[in-house]
Amino acid sequence: MKKFLKKIKLSKVLIYTFLSILAFIYLAPLVWMFFVSLKDNAEIFTSPFALPQRIQWENYTFAWTAGYLGKATLNSTIVCITALILSLVIGSMAAFAIARLRWKYAKLMMTYFLIGMMVPIHCVLIPLFKTFSSIGLYNNLIGLIVPYVTFSLPITIYIMEGFFENMPQEVFEAACIDGCSIYKCFSAIAVPLSKTGLFVTGLMSFVSNWNELLLAMVFISDDMKKTLPVSLSKFVGPYNTNYVQMFAAIIIAIIPTIIVYCCFSNQIVDGLTAGAVKG
Amino acid sequence: MDKLLRNKKAIVFFIAPAFLLFTIVLFIPICQSVYYSLCSYDALTNPEFIGLENYKQLLFNDKTMRIALKNSLFFMIFSCVSQLVVGLLLAALLTNIRKGRNFFKNIYYLPCVLSSAALGLLWMFIFSPKLGINQILAQWEIQGPLWLMDVEGFINLPMKVIAFVALWQYVGQSMMLYMAQISGIDKSLYEASYIDGATKTQSFLHITLPLIRPMVATAMSLNCIGSLKFFDLIFNMTEAGPNHQTEVLATHLYTQGFKYFKYGYASAIGVVLLLLCLIMTFIINKFVKVDSYEM
Amino acid sequence: MKRKVLSVLLSVAMLSSLLVGCGSNASNPAPAGDAAADEAGDDATASNDATPADGEVEEITWMFWDDLNATEDLISLGYKDVVERFNKDYEGKYHVTPITTNLEEYYTKLNALVASNETPDCFIVSPGPNLDTYVEPGVTADLTDYLKADGWMDTFNGGEGAFSQQTYDGKIYAVPLNTAAACVFYNTEMFEKAGITTMPTDWNGMLDACQKLQDAGYTPITISAGTAWCLSMLAGYLCDSEGVDLDALNAGEAHWTDANVVSAVNKMLEISKYFQPTAAGDTNDVATANFYNEEAAMLIQGSWAIGQINGANPDFEDKCGVFAFPGTDGRVIAKSDSLAMSATTEHKDAVIAFMKYFTDDTAQKYTAEVGGKIPVTTVEYDADKAPAQLAYVMDVFSNAKSTFGFYNESMASTEAGSTFDDAMVSIYLGTPVEEGLQTVEDFYQTNVWK
Repeated sequence: MKKFLKKIKLSKVLIYTFLSILAFIYLAPLVWMFFVSLKDNAEIFTSPFALPQRIQWENYTFAWTAGYLGKATLNSTIVCITALILSLVIGSMAAFAIARLRWKYAKLMMTYFLIGMMVPIHCVLIPLFKTFSSIGLYNNLIGLIVPYVTFSLPITIYIMEGFFENMPQEVFEAACIDGCSIYKCFSAIAVPLSKTGLFVTGLMSFVSNWNELLLAMVFISDDMKKTLPVSLSKFVGPYNTNYVQMFAAIIIAIIPTIIVYCCFSNQIVDGLTAGAVKG
Repeated sequence: MDKLLRNKKAIVFFIAPAFLLFTIVLFIPICQSVYYSLCSYDALTNPEFIGLENYKQLLFNDKTMRIALKNSLFFMIFSCVSQLVVGLLLAALLTNIRKGRNFFKNIYYLPCVLSSAALGLLWMFIFSPKLGINQILAQWEIQGPLWLMDVEGFINLPMKVIAFVALWQYVGQSMMLYMAQISGIDKSLYEASYIDGATKTQSFLHITLPLIRPMVATAMSLNCIGSLKFFDLIFNMTEAGPNHQTEVLATHLYTQGFKYFKYGYASAIGVVLLLLCLIMTFIINKFVKVDSYEM
Repeated sequence: MKRKVLSVLLSVAMLSSLLVGCGSNASNPAPAGDAAADEAGDDATASNDATPADGEVEEITWMFWDDLNATEDLISLGYKDVVERFNKDYEGKYHVTPITTNLEEYYTKLNALVASNETPDCFIVSPGPNLDTYVEPGVTADLTDYLKADGWMDTFNGGEGAFSQQTYDGKIYAVPLNTAAACVFYNTEMFEKAGITTMPTDWNGMLDACQKLQDAGYTPITISAGTAWCLSMLAGYLCDSEGVDLDALNAGEAHWTDANVVSAVNKMLEISKYFQPTAAGDTNDVATANFYNEEAAMLIQGSWAIGQINGANPDFEDKCGVFAFPGTDGRVIAKSDSLAMSATTEHKDAVIAFMKYFTDDTAQKYTAEVGGKIPVTTVEYDADKAPAQLAYVMDVFSNAKSTFGFYNESMASTEAGSTFDDAMVSIYLGTPVEEGLQTVEDFYQTNVWK
């Protein structure tokens, strides 16, 4: 018995050591970036790994004011949250139709949406920009929201379809007998049961939209409408890069992501322990 | 019930918004793109139809394209395999521990939510021969390699470095997907197997693995497509250099289309990329995916 | 409760986004019509038609490749002053709004704008193949008449000669704003300690100096092969000194595999043993930092680096000398930023007025005294205020017999330039010289000489 306990302990120790080393590899670069953001530009070239000689909080204030990061964060939030809600609603509706409703072209429709996942954004940039600028969506946050929603759709539909498909048929039958309409089936049964899926896809599309640079760079010109990733690239000059302030700006930019992420990830855990995931 | 599910109005209601949006914003531009790929089209001139000329040039005459194809395929295979192995391993380890599970999971998932452009800059810094890792290695008198500038070998060092950074960044995604699936497995299955005297490894191989196979297919196709489209990290770490040695399809497309403004040619690369993605998804679904088990 | 708060927040966010969207729709200036494009012929005075009624402010846009607030680049900061001065002086009449991206996405965005008839009224562009792309399809307006109209051209140093890189078929399509010359910056203290008293003037002298510096325990040269154009600038100097004729190459009368190119590249390899050990991977920032942190004795760079050097290490200014790249027979690499005007703009007068602010005395003085670049006009500036190095660069520049452009910006296309850059880097990294040059030759064969 004692030997048995020992064995368990040893394997546990090994597992934890492995996980901790890995955690270090994950955190060290980010912590290092934080230290760099507190140095001055000359210091990072002489002693990149040392602690900052003098802590330069002014990097943060400079990055905040010169990069208009406050405004940029607001813009990013508006764009990403709107896109998130729209893509979840529209996407899960389509996924529901494909997974649960009975019609001939459901499979075909799925393939059609999946193609969207395979298109690199660069491919459609020019045609899209031409169309958008002719209908006044250039330099307009809606001009970002629409493509962001669209690009999030395939992954949303793909994952949500799996969730809806694997739901037991009996639930819907029972609801049907109770006189539920198909719309009610969707909103009162299917969606609540696939909460986990919504959080996972929501997180994935939110994150990719939050970090998207190319569309935002091309579609928005007004300084007051730029999103965060575009504002970060402001610190890259034509001949030299303003590293410390750029890293400071990056740190500012990732803090909201981390906060959002923490909220979401706990939701996912809740969803998991509730056993909602069956797909 | 059946009547309810065949309600035409409901089908249209559910599918129409996604279908319309998708068609207008994505599908029509793709069609335009396919048309451009058959044209000689520079940024500021009008497209002029030239048939398959771009494709001929691309497939038979373009050395960079060959490098890009090689690197893209390497990258795809590497990330498929490594993400599967490491992702599963992490998921298995994390579902088996109780204390600190969320802590570790959050940490491993963290880079997924950060901008890969920003992380690319960070890693470029870390692998810079003068400033980064080499300075630490130098303390133990080890002369580090040139990391991102070493061009020896069929698959060169920079590509490997980038592949590892990509694994670092994205393995959390696979881990999450697998974990979600593993937690969904009925606990009684495991209990039954332990009573029958199975070890943890055995139960992992014979219960967990088969049951999460559908998710493996999902995660793999996501990985495949993601790695074929891969752009941000490479662009920020090496800008596809030195001398195109770390070029992949997406960077080649970007350089041709947005640095040299050969939109027609770039569209042809895009079409090739799209076809590759389609083929890979088809293969994975054919061989890995099976009908999902009732759990 | 939590959920309720969240949903309220979200709906507010959505609503405000809609409002923002609508507001911007209203304030969007009408896109320039196609009709204006046809009018924009040679007749400069026709533009008066477009002048709006009194009291209405003419809005123009100016596109630039660096953010004016977040930048540390002194030249960019100078442009910021220009914009502010212009908007203040012309308050109520003209107003300029800068559109900024970083350099990497600059041409991507500019082309997208041009392709969808949203061409900015005024934009910055590098002379060479980049400017060609806009002049040929008629995106940029002919500025000759404006320059000649009221003696504007006479303020330029060298008159019409100042526009040689911007002239196509006798018509001027862009206005240069400043000139930067590529020189050798050196650490005077290290040179002294290594016993070098006279600056090298020919190739052997350069190699000698390098050897002496190395013997004295210094790294002779810091350079960046990680940023390809830095190495290619050195290669450009060496090619030119070997008598490589770019025009002949572009026309197909000479070849990249010719003996003079090979010998230039061999010279590059010869001097490469004096580079810092990490040259292959160092970026431009790192290579420059090596120099101002006194880890290497020489830096081959454009004069725009002066601001960066003095900004990062102010104590270094006294120790920093400049000499012309040796053995080039008095030829110097020079580069200028230029402004072009959209051919379809409805506000020609406003754009011209704006352009003049870039070349007026205040701006040009700033260019020299603070920015460390060579002014394009004949402005008198206070040499004491200017960084010490500028005087040396000016010396180099005024002693130059002739100038030539950046090598990668003087070739048949942007892609040809990059092919050359990449070939140089790969040769430095170990590709055999002939093989490396063959890739450039092949590129020209399929893309340029067909």
